[in-house]
Amino acid sequence: MIRAVIVMNTQGKPRLLKFYEFQPPEKQQELTRSVFAVLSGRPDNVSNFVETDAIFGSGTRLVYKHLATLYFVFVFDSCENELAMLDLIQVLVETLDRCFKNVCELDIVFNFNKMHTILDEIIFGGQVLETSSERVLKAVEEISRLEKSSSSVSFVPKSVSGRFGR
Amino acid sequence: MKKAGVFIAFLAVASSVALAVASLDPCASSSSSKVVQLSLSLPPGLGSSREGDVRLGSRKGVEDKFAPRFDGLRFIEMLVTVSSSCRPLVRKKAALCLLRLYRKNPDVVNIDGWSDRMSQLLDERDLGVLTSVMSLFVAIVSNNVEAYWNCLPKCVKILERLGRNQDVPQEYTYHGIPSPWIQVKTMRALQYFPTIEDPNTRRALFEVLQRILMGTDVVKNVNKNNAVHAILFEALALENMTRMLLVSDVQDIIKSHQAQIIISLKDPDISIRRRALDLLYGMCDVTNAKDIVEELLQYLNTADFAMREELALKAAILAEKFAPDLSWYVDVILQLIDKAGDFVSDDIWYRVVQFVTNNEDLQPYAAAKAREYLEKPALHETMVKVSAYLLGEYSHLLARRTGCTLKEIFIIINEKLPTVTTSTVAILLSTYAKILMHNHPPDPELQEQIWSIFRKYESCIDVEIQQRAVEYIALCNKGAALVDVLAEMPKFPERQSALLKKAEVAEVDTAEQSAIRIRSQQQTSNALVVTDQRPTEGSLPVSQLGLVRMPSEASTQDQTSFQDEGMTKENGVITEVVPQDVPPADLLGDLLGSLAINGSPATAVPVEQRNQNLLSVVEATPEAAGPFTLTIVDNQPNSIQPIVNIAERFNELCLKDSGVLYEDPHIQVQCPLEFVNLRASRDVAVLDFSYKFGTAMVNVKLRLPAVINKFLQPISVTAEEFFDQWKSLSGPPLKLQEVLRGVKPLSLPEIANLFTSLHLAVNPGIDTNPNNLIACTTFYSESTRATLCLIRVETDPSDRTQLRITIASGDPTLTLKERIKEYLVNIPTQTPSAVVAPLQPQSPVTPVAYNDPGAMLAGLL
Repeated sequence: MIRAVIVMNTQGKPRLLKFYEFQPPEKQQELTRSVFAVLSGRPDNVSNFVETDAIFGSGTRLVYKHLATLYFVFVFDSCENELAMLDLIQVLVETLDRCFKNVCELDIVFNFNKMHTILDEIIFGGQVLETSSERVLKAVEEISRLEKSSSSVSFVPKSVSGRFGR
Repeated sequence: MKKAGVFIAFLAVASSVALAVASLDPCASSSSSKVVQLSLSLPPGLGSSREGDVRLGSRKGVEDKFAPRFDGLRFIEMLVTVSSSCRPLVRKKAALCLLRLYRKNPDVVNIDGWSDRMSQLLDERDLGVLTSVMSLFVAIVSNNVEAYWNCLPKCVKILERLGRNQDVPQEYTYHGIPSPWIQVKTMRALQYFPTIEDPNTRRALFEVLQRILMGTDVVKNVNKNNAVHAILFEALALENMTRMLLVSDVQDIIKSHQAQIIISLKDPDISIRRRALDLLYGMCDVTNAKDIVEELLQYLNTADFAMREELALKAAILAEKFAPDLSWYVDVILQLIDKAGDFVSDDIWYRVVQFVTNNEDLQPYAAAKAREYLEKPALHETMVKVSAYLLGEYSHLLARRTGCTLKEIFIIINEKLPTVTTSTVAILLSTYAKILMHNHPPDPELQEQIWSIFRKYESCIDVEIQQRAVEYIALCNKGAALVDVLAEMPKFPERQSALLKKAEVAEVDTAEQSAIRIRSQQQTSNALVVTDQRPTEGSLPVSQLGLVRMPSEASTQDQTSFQDEGMTKENGVITEVVPQDVPPADLLGDLLGSLAINGSPATAVPVEQRNQNLLSVVEATPEAAGPFTLTIVDNQPNSIQPIVNIAERFNELCLKDSGVLYEDPHIQVQCPLEFVNLRASRDVAVLDFSYKFGTAMVNVKLRLPAVINKFLQPISVTAEEFFDQWKSLSGPPLKLQEVLRGVKPLSLPEIANLFTSLHLAVNPGIDTNPNNLIACTTFYSESTRATLCLIRVETDPSDRTQLRITIASGDPTLTLKERIKEYLVNIPTQTPSAVVAPLQPQSPVTPVAYNDPGAMLAGLL
């Protein structure tokens, strides 16, 4: 299964942390730091797969993609195929791109809720849920429609989503 | 209604998982799929955030909360399986929800009789749902393959559908490839199934795999490349597992990738190099083993240090598993040792010796190879070990070849002697002994050379080496008996390869047990089949603990106790003789080893001690257990009290396992003894061992290695404590001083080492004079309890042959200080001292070295 999804910038600042196994916040920070230490030391011409037995326990690997100012990192165990995970990162990024039209780091900073919704439609409880970015987008749109129509419950304060939403 | 459902679900987020599941109930009656969807998201989604809370509470409590609510689960099952009318979005979430709950607690989710439903589910047309269903399927199949055989054709169908790109909506293609994720997952699932019986299914799968293997090319688009290779690698893994390599053209295709993988061994990225190594290891079989192993051997020269050990181990395992013939195997391992000796664990060369011993045809070849390697100028020590061992055992088979006379072999081995460490020296000594045995007709010069080496090591400070030297000299004096004792090693019983075990040890904690691991546990090394091993001792349980102990080690242990015992004419009071069934150390067992109550594993019988005559005697009297008794010899009245029922213990000891001791002459009985030191004494502990054979009484007196320094415990003291004690003890008999002359020159560190090995703690810095040495220890006995002993040695840097020693202790009756004094005087000088000869009669099994105090002390170390 997929253990964690981490999106961080090249300065090591986390933009999205999603752990599919419970980790206390301190541990999450520690893990993020160790992941960044690994990634920042890797030049561009080496493989995107790293064995992370020391960080996430034995048998775990991470796959990452370095795009513009962001690292997209998937951590998973031996039940998953690494290349399939790499493809999944591509799907995530493509979906973000479709959603935000030329996605950049700032989009993710201001629309973290949307980012989470998208991720939840792709990975669910550590398993791949959907691999078609069109279907993902449809689901996300449906959820935001639902959000808008239900005036009594808003998942994100109006002020925030109104100001930064597109 | 909608809002009510959402609200309940939302509340559940705030409270707990249990409530969330509870909230599924009201949702179940709701017709709104959105509500259902939201509530489905909760349990798995919460896993990431709330799991910790749940774990904090008692697990039982959580389960109790869950149990009555699991009608909700039924609902999920229903959603997944029956109601195809539900929207795909809901159904795929339901599948993953079920998977998550199943992972948490497989017992709660009742999947009995699911195989039909699963089979239905795999018919799913919607690829999104199929992705989730396949994840669920893999998890379930990894636990129980047998129940899901009916799903196998469905999986193949899915692969066919995707492989031919039939009925795949555009949105589910990734760079033109029909959902690589499903393909990968499906092949993962197929890996759990052993060979496919149904020929149609097999052919269909084979076609799909062939299409994948042939159709995969490197393309420009990186993403596409990734996806196709993801599929390719899974296909290769599955291909390899299903062993469909028999068709030649597929083999060729795989071989072309094999070249690529081998090139990847030189990739700049270490993770790729590791993967490539793993892949090569995984795809190796009888047909390509030779190529792959040779490639690995070459790669060994340039590989990273971090990888070399793994590489060496893997090469060794592959060579063993797929060896086309055993001489090739021997070649490979010898090359391996030659190229990466540092990274070759002992297990590997033990294994070679095992194979060679078990295969007579191989013996001359292995010996000749070993001889060749010995000619190399720079040789790794492991190579010296294995070569020396092989030549020792089998050099006589080479006698007709040029350059292979015993003498020449001895010379070439002996060249290595000065450069090797002690563990190797021990093996070399055994080799010499074996050469000596084959020395027919006797070559007096060779004999003299070997003897002189033995004599040199007779006083070696290393116990192991010294023991060997002493024993081999003694054996040489036995004449013809030497041949019996030093006979060739018997064959090894068949064992599982320790190497394979070692490779399996890497335990991985994943949600699903790896199919590769499950398979590898089912496979056995076929190299073992090659050995012409006769079934040994059918009734004996063959130990699964891995490799049998090597002869060198076994004899090491045996000899250690022997030697100690031989040296033990000193003090020591035996009090309790307590045979135990579970031995922490094998003492009596080893002693009895020479008396042939020995043998399991048969190979552990040290050649040097094997006594054929007695063996046959014992074999002749299977019911001999009756007349045995085990009693304790009171060599000191009042000092020995048996604390257990000896007869009972003896029966237990003799009859354990098989119930009959001598039904099988190779049963080994081990009998550890515990000693308590009643008081300081110079007496020897002797075990009087006697039994009746027919009408003849056989009696053996075994000296036990209970020497005084076994009862010492080193202790560190501060300068203040030391001087307090030192001053409070004055004059004989509390404090004794003596000037020793004619001491063999020893540097202070050497003396310190000597003391440390005698269990005397050297305390530096207490004496301000750098030429002096202070040591402290505590002596334990029943009567005196802990007694502090202080020792001071003053040396003269200008004349190392003399020193002054002062020993102080609080107990005037403690003869310990006398003993230490004697040791120190005698050891370095190596001349017979005035030490009283042993009071006890000579033990028949340990006639050696009694009069050599130097050897004696070294033995005590």
